[in-house]
Amino acid sequence: MSEALDPNPGSSKSFVALAKPFSPEDEAVLRESLKRCSPSTFEAAVQYRKTGNPEHVPAVVIGIIERFVEPDLRTKLKDADDDLRVVEDLGVDSLTMMEIVILVEEVLQVSINNDELRNLRTVGDVKTFIDCKIRGLPLPKPTKFLPIEHIGAIMPVQPPFLFLNEASVSSTAANGKYKITGQEFFLQGHFKDNPVMPASIMLEALGQLAVLYLLEGAPTEPGKIVGPNTIFFTGCEGVRAHRICRPGDLLSLSIKPKRMKMPLATFEGSIRVGQEKTVIAEEITMTFGFVDAPAPAAAAPAPASPPIPAPAPAGGSGPLNAALGGA
Amino acid sequence: MPRVFITGLGFVTSIGNDAASVASSLRELRHGFELYPPFQKPDIPCKVVGTVKGFTANSTDPEDWTWPSRYAIKRETLRSMAPHGLYAHCAFLQAVEDARLGPGEVSNPETGLNAASGGSPFLTHYNHERLLKLGVMRCSPMGIVSSIVGTLNFNLVAAFRIQGSSCGFSSACASSAHAIGFAFDDISLGRQKRMFVVGAEDGNVDAIMPFAGMRTLSLQTDPALASRPFDAARDGFVGTGGATVMVLESEDEVARRGVRPYAEVLGWGQASDGYNVAISHPDGAGLALAMRNALRAARVAPEQVDHINAHATSTLIGDIAEARALRAVFPQAAERPGISSTKALTGHGLSLAGVMESAFCALAMREGFTPGSAHISRVDPQCEGLKILRETVPQAPGIVMKNSSGFGGANVALLFRKV
Repeated sequence: MSEALDPNPGSSKSFVALAKPFSPEDEAVLRESLKRCSPSTFEAAVQYRKTGNPEHVPAVVIGIIERFVEPDLRTKLKDADDDLRVVEDLGVDSLTMMEIVILVEEVLQVSINNDELRNLRTVGDVKTFIDCKIRGLPLPKPTKFLPIEHIGAIMPVQPPFLFLNEASVSSTAANGKYKITGQEFFLQGHFKDNPVMPASIMLEALGQLAVLYLLEGAPTEPGKIVGPNTIFFTGCEGVRAHRICRPGDLLSLSIKPKRMKMPLATFEGSIRVGQEKTVIAEEITMTFGFVDAPAPAAAAPAPASPPIPAPAPAGGSGPLNAALGGA
Repeated sequence: MPRVFITGLGFVTSIGNDAASVASSLRELRHGFELYPPFQKPDIPCKVVGTVKGFTANSTDPEDWTWPSRYAIKRETLRSMAPHGLYAHCAFLQAVEDARLGPGEVSNPETGLNAASGGSPFLTHYNHERLLKLGVMRCSPMGIVSSIVGTLNFNLVAAFRIQGSSCGFSSACASSAHAIGFAFDDISLGRQKRMFVVGAEDGNVDAIMPFAGMRTLSLQTDPALASRPFDAARDGFVGTGGATVMVLESEDEVARRGVRPYAEVLGWGQASDGYNVAISHPDGAGLALAMRNALRAARVAPEQVDHINAHATSTLIGDIAEARALRAVFPQAAERPGISSTKALTGHGLSLAGVMESAFCALAMREGFTPGSAHISRVDPQCEGLKILRETVPQAPGIVMKNSSGFGGANVALLFRKV
């Protein structure tokens, strides 16, 4: 679990890079380490090592991941959104993940524990994780992947008015997908002989993702949970639709919390189809309330942990399991 | 018991990187030695190595390596290899092509793989140095699988999706002969239909240099004189690396696929000296017993054997021990069989030697010649009473024995028949 925060404050609190001047020898070592990465990766690493400015870190991390991805899959990384999955989408196996980590450790001069690696599923996870390490911030909760069954089980909204097929929720964002099938009841009338996904429904889908975030990702008070029946829409601002969506389109939805203070939570949201900008909502605000957390079922043999779908690439659920398995 | 045939060969050796060039080197007794650049230093006493050509694998980073462009190897396959893994991967691709095997014939529950190498001291050295310098968590996760003994089978089994039996053999210079013997058993016992047998060695500084400490390496500076088994002036062996892959198949598979085999494997035998950790028994007692065991298992009389590819490495003690064993086993040794050591051309391939030289035998049987024992100007008097072939004979032998001996006094004899 993520509560096991880095017990090694020495390496993360102070910027190691700043503690020691960046010498020409260091630069030569860095150049050798990054010799198969793009020049911009090397440049970002030099800047980071010289200034300790964490803004350079994402470019370094993405550059290192890119170097280990098979050339024909690298284009995916070019315009990657944060929910691009390292194993499933980039073909990175658990051993390659270790190679990536070792190089990141070397270049950014951080230490990464085995436990911390298990939850890094997406490019966003990796970026957030490294960023937290560098800044000495607590590590985020691991991203949860929710298949449709799980979404259906926890959401107050239900079919035929549920517009999420799958979702991932972390403490900083939620991402989801919805494929317009053409069977949606409202498409019969919207419009006559011309099915177009209503913009209001797309906004609704973003709202549903925000509900999912409140239920699964949002911080709560001890002993409390967000009550599914306490969440309602209150308002939205700056909504723009850029693209007409029709049956067959796959909507990639994402929301990020901007402000959260009981009883209001405000998110920014966006929808893409492929790489095309589709809908932007600068602010979506919901109201919510806490209820008592249900008492843990004492006799339950197995804790009702969410059924995380583990495609188990190379014989293990997390990257490291496979790396360590079968010795 | 199903009969077992050799149906495919692949070579990355000091005397050629394909069957055709290896065959012509063997026929014309053309050696593969060079003054090895890393050895040309005052503090390194030996100078000559049987070098692998057309590859560079002298970096600890596999992505720096180069190999002939006809072999496509992905980074994820390459990253866990030792240099000899690269050689073996390429030889494997050759053998598959040579045997005309489709992907389903390589990867299925009845096709296995036996491999032999001494591991990669080169990468072990590098990884341990890194471990001591930077700490264990900065070592490559591939460090172990790319370097320990077994790296060859780990990598090939994974890369070629082998589903049948797989095993690594570690009896030093008898390793890949053992690998053939047990592969033969697996097929003749009906456990497998097809076996790949692989031998490979890095053949670089870290693999060869340690033998200098045993005083077993030739100090000759003339590549044409350094390796001369059975010669009175021999002064030690010359190291070599590379890889050989041999495909063995049951007679049913040969018939079903309609391929023309190189030769039949008739059987094998093994025995141990029980004498010294590194020195051959002075009379070659274990080797003589291994030869007798092989003859009995294959139901072949000593008089029927036409040719012996000897283990003879060009060391002082080893060649004499083998000569004594040969005289003991073959009553008509002065007339037949004709004996040669192809290590005069390649040098000693250590764990690679057994399968490489067995493949030479198979190739020569198919191509219709018997390679001679090169570089002899005067036969060591202690090796007399044997019919040592000084030149290539332009006829294929009918039955060939291949001898191999390793540290600890492990001895293997294999028998092949022309088809």
